[in-house]
This record gives sequence, structure tokens and C-alpha cells, in this order.
Amino acid sequence: MPLKPQKTKLDPRVEPYGDNAVLVAYDVLGYSEKASNAIHQLSDTLRDMNLWTNVVPAYDSLMVTFNPMMIELSSALNTVKTSLNNLSKAKKDKPIKPIDIPVFYGGEDGPDMENICKSSKLTETQIIKRHSSRLYRVCLMGFIPGFAFLSETDKKLHHPRHATPRLKVAPGSIGIANWQTGIYGLESPGGWQIIGRTPLSIFDSKRQEPFALKAGDQVRFIPQGKV
Amino acid sequence: MRDPILTILNGGSQTTLQDAGRPGYRHLGIPKSGAADRLSFALSNFLVGNSWDAPALECTLGGLHIRFEKATRIALSGAEMWAQINGQNVETNRALPVNKGDILTLSFARIGCRTYIAIEGGLIGEPFMGSVSTYTPASLGGIEGRAVRSGDKFHCAEMENIGSQSLPTGYAPILSRHIVLRARSVSEWSWLTPEAKRYMYTSPFITTPDTDRMGARLIGDHIGLINKTPLTSSPILPGTLQIPPDGKPILAMIDGHCTGGYARALQVITADQWLLGQIAPGSPISFRRCVVEEASDILRGRNAFYAGIMPGFWF
Repeated sequence: MPLKPQKTKLDPRVEPYGDNAVLVAYDVLGYSEKASNAIHQLSDTLRDMNLWTNVVPAYDSLMVTFNPMMIELSSALNTVKTSLNNLSKAKKDKPIKPIDIPVFYGGEDGPDMENICKSSKLTETQIIKRHSSRLYRVCLMGFIPGFAFLSETDKKLHHPRHATPRLKVAPGSIGIANWQTGIYGLESPGGWQIIGRTPLSIFDSKRQEPFALKAGDQVRFIPQGKV
Repeated sequence: MRDPILTILNGGSQTTLQDAGRPGYRHLGIPKSGAADRLSFALSNFLVGNSWDAPALECTLGGLHIRFEKATRIALSGAEMWAQINGQNVETNRALPVNKGDILTLSFARIGCRTYIAIEGGLIGEPFMGSVSTYTPASLGGIEGRAVRSGDKFHCAEMENIGSQSLPTGYAPILSRHIVLRARSVSEWSWLTPEAKRYMYTSPFITTPDTDRMGARLIGDHIGLINKTPLTSSPILPGTLQIPPDGKPILAMIDGHCTGGYARALQVITADQWLLGQIAPGSPISFRRCVVEEASDILRGRNAFYAGIMPGFWF
């Protein structure tokens, strides 16, 4: 008899965070698509309530903040718990159209490509192929404006951060940190292994719509130039 | 364009234009920003008769020189700084008339870190997502999203103004050199060693020289962790105290990152977060445990108290 796929029950903590926030955390190690799906479904549900001052989804956790003069902490906790319990009853979201991100891999645009080649024992072409052949979810935005934290990369590409961060990472840089991959929206210091760069402007405060990406979006990397 | 209200002669260590901030965009990686000490900022506006959230200058540690280009009224609140107009000492927490050509100098902070300079009618800055607050890491708000510098000119917003007022007794916050922050244990508190849990609420810490609007690193008793697993990037808030593996806590400030990757041990209660803005490099600070009922009661009480003189104000 074939083994049935094991169903792991996801049971998050739901707890107060200070006096004006509630934290939901699944505490998975690494990336869990199941937890990520649940977080984004919960995020959409909570955002639609127009009750919260912030709804901040992350990889396996979510935080809502509220005005404690308008809502009691206990009632905020209950509202989040109820929304969580009703999640499974919610309809599955229809598939969203992925956003194409053109990327120039390696060379000056990807100064750490060599590091990934060494650790993965793959050629640059193979790395580009593996990095650009899957769909990623934008799991969260931050730590700086416009920085997109994406879902898990191909296992062969996992690589730790630099021990000492670079003082300047060019805007649009695409990096790898352990199992994560991400896009720097702005020039900033940073410790991720940079493998390429997109000419697309991810964050521009002068633009009508400053953010090219938001949490929950799906993105696809399109290699540019000679591959 | 109308004549400017003031010219910056020297920006000092860091002076920025701030208002009540741009809340609600943490999911986009945009911190709230705004005045680091919301209470002193609001009081400076109250004194000149502005709405409490009118844009004002936030001077960090001192070194600011301003020339006024028109007669107006100003008020200083916040850190105790050595302040002079044309070489004459002036007091904080009262409305001060200035004339065309007068020069205001803020020399250095004796107690606290940030002084607010409110100008009758408020100042004009570059808006981004509903606020002119300066957020330098992404060059948002203020003047080109940066700290002010010599030669910058500001125009008066000419917002509704009810004329200068004096602060009733008991409303001026009293700053002390040693800042005590009431806090609640949060999310990864259980990762701390038993000794670390004891130190957290009993030992003093000193902030390092790189303390700024984003955060402060704290030096003191080693805060050890029993669980050294790196945390997956998770949401944090201003007032969150994170514990990196080196045992030196990091306190997130008003411009702090929206997510962090270290154990979250404490969260400063909302009613005490204005004090974060008065934490200078080298300040001694301590944390005191607060239960949730206490935190809510303190906040309700403080909000009601200050909203009594500043309608709509909240911490």
C-alpha cells in the first residue's frame, strides 16, 4: 500500500507583543510553503478588516498593530484567533500572474557569483538556470524600503551571508542568504551574496506607485544578455 | 515663491524635519519615522499654538544655528540644551518671539538627546505617503530626504494657529540622565539564559556611540541565549529589544528596520516610547517589567492627560 503524504498540522502561537500588537508565529525552521500560504491568507483576511494600524506578514509569522485606545488587547487576540480558525474555510486564492524581473547575472552585477560556483560546484550557467527556473513568492518587504524577501531557492544555491557586510550594495542587486533570495530596492549596506542585478527600479519614492513589488506577489527572474 | 521663514547656518550633528510620521506601511518596509520624542515634539507645537502634529525641526545633540528671516514665534522642547537667541540664554517649554535677523543657537545637550524647534504655522517639507518626516536611509521627506545643512531655507506652512500658549503645571516632562523604560517580555524571551532574564530587568546598560534614530546597541551584563538558532526574518517594532548571539542587545528606535533576525526579548510599552528619542550615545538605560494591565492603564491615563491640552494627541 502506498504511503499517504504525511499531513503536518500547523499550529501557530498567537500572543501579545507589547501592549499594541499581536504576533502569530509558526516557528518553522527554514522555509515552509504551507506556513507561508497560511500567513498570506491570514494577512489578506486581516487587512480587509480595516481594523489594524499595520498588518505585517513575514516568512512564517505575522504581526498586527492596533490603536490600544480603540481595541482591547484581549479582543485583538480573539479577533486574530478567530480569523486563523476560519482560514481553512476560506476559498483558495486564484493563481496570480507572476511579475517578470530581468536580471543580469554575474560579472560586475553579481560580484559573489564565484562564491556560489565554488560552494555549489556548479558552473555560472547552471546557477543562472537553477536560480531563474522557479517561481518565487514575495514573502515580506523590508528590512529597508523596497527590499523584497523571496521564498526558498534551489537547495544547491544555499549559501551563508558574508561574515562582514558590504558597505554598499547597488540598488536592484539580487542576493542569496542561506535558503533565502532577495532583491535590494535601494542602495544600502548588506551582507547577502550578490549574484546579479536587475535594471528594474524596485523602489522609487518619486514615482506615482513607489513600489514595484508587494508581499504576496509572485516573481520570476528572466536572465538577460549572454547565458 | 514667498520669502523663507528661516535659514540654516549650521545643521549641527543631525537636524531633520519631522512630523507625526507615516504609520501603516511596515508591510512595505517603511517605518513610521516622525519625531523620535513624540511628546516633546507635540508640546513645542502646542506652545506656539500649532496643531500638535505640525512639522518642526528635530535637533540631535546640538550644534544647530538658525537665522530667522521674518518675525515669528518659536518654542523649544525636549532635551535640556544650552540655547541662545543672539547670545542671550533662552528657556525651553515657552513661546519665544523672534525678529528678522535673530540667530538661534543650540549648543549641546546637557540632559537628553533631541530638542524640537516649533515655528508658528509649522514648516514646509517634501511629502511622501502623507508625511514630511525625514527618513534618511531612503531619502524620504524633509529636504531631499536628508539632514539639514548650512544654506538650507525653510518656508512657513501657515497652518491654522491659535496664538502662543503656556504649558500648565505638570505637563512638562522631566528628563533624567538615566532613562528607565517600562517593558514587556515578548516572543523569544524564553531563549534567554536564567541569568540573562535576571539581568534584563535589574542591570543598567550603556548605549554605544553609534546610537541614532534607527537603533542603539547596549553594553552591560552579557545577555546569553540558550537557543542560538538564527531567527527567520520576522516583524519588529520601535521599542523592540533584540538579542544577537554576541549578547549585546539592540534597541530599535523610531526609524528602525521593520523586520529583524535576532531573538526578540522585550517590547517597550507604548506610553514610554517617546523616551527612546531622548536616548543619547553613552546614555545609561534600564528596563522595568510591566504587566499588560498596567501598560494599558498607563497609556489610557497619559493619552487622556495630554489630549486635554492637545486635542487628538496620542502616544
